[in-house]
Amino acid sequence: MIWKLSVAGIKSRLKDYLVLFSGLIVASMIFYMFLTIATNPAFLAKDVYARTSYVNFIFIFGIILLAIITFVYLIYANSFLLNMRKHDYGMFMILGAKGKRIGLIIFLETLVTGILATMLGTVLGFGLTGLISKLLISRLGLAIYHFQIILPSAILGTFCFFIIMFFLGAIWNVHKLTKTPIINLLKENQKPTKINQKPFLRVVETVFGLILLAFGYQVMTWSSTKIYQIIPTALITIVSGSYFIFNALFSMIIASLIKKESFSYRGIRIFTLGQLKFRLHEYTRILTLISLLFALALGAITVGLNFDTVKEHAKTSTYYDTIVVSKAAAVNKEVAKLNIQNQQTYAYKETHKYIYFNRNEFVRQPLKVTKFYLKKDEPMYKVENLPTKKLDVPNTDANIALSGMIINGLQKIIRLVPANKWQNLQGTKKMITLLNVKDFDHDYPILMKIQQLQLKENPKYSNIYEASKPNNYQLLLNYSSGFEFMGFFLGIAFLTMLASTLMFKVLNGASDDKIRYRMLNQIGTRVSLLKRSINWEIGILFLLPAILGIIDVLFGLQLFRSLLPDPYHNIWLLFTIFIILYVFYYLLTIKLYKKIVLSCN
Amino acid sequence: MEILHVDHVTKTYGKRGEKQYQALKGIDFTVNSGEFVAIMGASGSGKTTLLNLLSTLDRPTGGRVLINGQDNSSLKDNQLADFRSKQIGFIFQDFNLLESLTNRENIALPLALSGLTPNRINPLVNKIATRLGIVEILAKYPVEISGGQKQRVAAARALVHDPAILLADEPTGALDSKNARELLETMADLNHKDQITTLMVTHDPISASFASRILFIKDGKIGKQLLRNDMSRIEFYHSLIYQMELAE
Repeated sequence: MIWKLSVAGIKSRLKDYLVLFSGLIVASMIFYMFLTIATNPAFLAKDVYARTSYVNFIFIFGIILLAIITFVYLIYANSFLLNMRKHDYGMFMILGAKGKRIGLIIFLETLVTGILATMLGTVLGFGLTGLISKLLISRLGLAIYHFQIILPSAILGTFCFFIIMFFLGAIWNVHKLTKTPIINLLKENQKPTKINQKPFLRVVETVFGLILLAFGYQVMTWSSTKIYQIIPTALITIVSGSYFIFNALFSMIIASLIKKESFSYRGIRIFTLGQLKFRLHEYTRILTLISLLFALALGAITVGLNFDTVKEHAKTSTYYDTIVVSKAAAVNKEVAKLNIQNQQTYAYKETHKYIYFNRNEFVRQPLKVTKFYLKKDEPMYKVENLPTKKLDVPNTDANIALSGMIINGLQKIIRLVPANKWQNLQGTKKMITLLNVKDFDHDYPILMKIQQLQLKENPKYSNIYEASKPNNYQLLLNYSSGFEFMGFFLGIAFLTMLASTLMFKVLNGASDDKIRYRMLNQIGTRVSLLKRSINWEIGILFLLPAILGIIDVLFGLQLFRSLLPDPYHNIWLLFTIFIILYVFYYLLTIKLYKKIVLSCN
Repeated sequence: MEILHVDHVTKTYGKRGEKQYQALKGIDFTVNSGEFVAIMGASGSGKTTLLNLLSTLDRPTGGRVLINGQDNSSLKDNQLADFRSKQIGFIFQDFNLLESLTNRENIALPLALSGLTPNRINPLVNKIATRLGIVEILAKYPVEISGGQKQRVAAARALVHDPAILLADEPTGALDSKNARELLETMADLNHKDQITTLMVTHDPISASFASRILFIKDGKIGKQLLRNDMSRIEFYHSLIYQMELAE
């Protein structure tokens, strides 16, 4: 009988259950997706060069963070389930069901809901992982070839994690319900805690919070060699600073708005502000967590996608786009396809020990090189003519650069001689052509092919090949694609989790708010005004952590100055994409919230 | 002068073709300005349905309700909300104060809703708070005051905008007998001295005995009515008990 009632109870609240269920599915789907990336052996080894401890560290850090946020998320989802079923459980107890039996039902209900959601989430996770990986690979032109979508270790990991979480959740629910007096299950205690904070203390707390935040941001501008000091210091100062800001500054602003009657005594503003005042007090911890996660998510996406700029590095750090030494027809055919902007051809004569160039050729068309230098810690490049005088002076920069461009250049001695002398020299006559194309990105596949054909023809070309622009570009492309891919996935995973957590936190309080909105409607508040009030109230709860999160990211990106040429590259575009996703969650939350609280109106 | 005119009001639940239930079967009565009327009935008699119609939260299936001479049946939802905010004051059984606002802010809410400026709102709040003896607790939150005080704050909120009629739904339901009596005395006093037209719905004979007229509702119809005339409250109460025993 009790089972029947339980099923009937679920059926009657199917819509609420669907919200919970879809939330859980999203959680497991995202978790699976991230585990798939973090544990994809071939992808990591071949596409990301994961053997470096740095990348491993990022992945482990990512998994830990994701596990923490999933844990927090599940706590809220679980309490949503409990709130939803509390009344029914109380009814069963009144009907005479024994505590033990109710305990069993709660336990199984939580566990079954969790397992079903995890199963469905994982299966959907295959699709999502496949879809997103394909989309990213094609859209961003990433060089990712070894990504495996269905990964047994990730499936196992997701299942273990979620089942343990739901098991703990089930135990917690049983404990909570069986220890709560029946009367409280049936009639919820709606008294909010009284906030009695002295204004002076709030000011002190705000100042303290601001100092901590400022210090945390300052820390992130330290030299990246101190990374192991920076991260824990910044984490502690920023987290506690954010906490104080939420606890004191925002409450103080709202309290002063309430006091300013010309502002607050308009429509139901006073109600909206009152709601916010209590919400902020109750939400301090979660808002702190969310602002931090927001920063991490946004940071992950920004840094990840900004790795794209690393490959630009390759384009500017080497001057010539390719070096042609071969006279083979196949190579010439490919060269003909290029859209050439600059071409420098030098003839040389090679003997057993020496390589002779005609000095006039270098005077007429000086050899160019891109020089790297630091300007205020920022990597910069400039194009310079190599001094012709120094080209044949051993161990000078000019000599080393020229040697690297010629086959056997490193083994033999380079000499620059006057034209008339060069004509009379003995030795095998060879040519070297240095090319620049108009559009490197466009001609990149042809340039690569030209190099590969030459390498095939002459294995000694490998020195030139390895130092060439297309090859550097290829290497950095692989490296950045892996990071881009990971950053994007991690960012999306964080964002989904944090936004869902906030959503469930808001929805958890909805049943208590219902009576307030009903009363407001009864005393003559228009439904449109109630809706506007909800939009504002929840909007501010979403906005505050986002603002703090964005500020955190803007400072946090300083950490990546040494790794990325410009960590702030295209930042507004990325922020916009991120904010669109976040706004989607906000809209979903207010829709669901309105459905609950305004259903009686 | 008629403040409330209920003209052959019916209310049927359930769609056509399905099983229907008639909660109100043709209700007619009027309430004049300055009257204190109690509608008394047992659970399921239709008194909550009637109150919902009177307060414009629900629409009648047949008949019409006129408040201050205005028929609300043609008004849209937003207009109805505006109408309620101007013409009706509510006192609920469980106070329904907003815990996130101070008592002063709770009372000011209907005035803010009707667009008054703070320099007009505050004197009105102070005036009604003085009248109801709650000035000292204005700065406190509902959670910090007793049940009796909460209902006084609720009464102040219901009256601050000077509505045409005060509707009270079992206002003493959540109070102990001492606080209940005090509240009812205040309501009677407001009615007597300030001519506040009051309509109270209750199942409690003691509460009803504070009114000047009692209408009995049973099975969706108004039965007889009992007038207090010159009787004292105690006499009226005994007469009410006697009537109830006769009816059984």
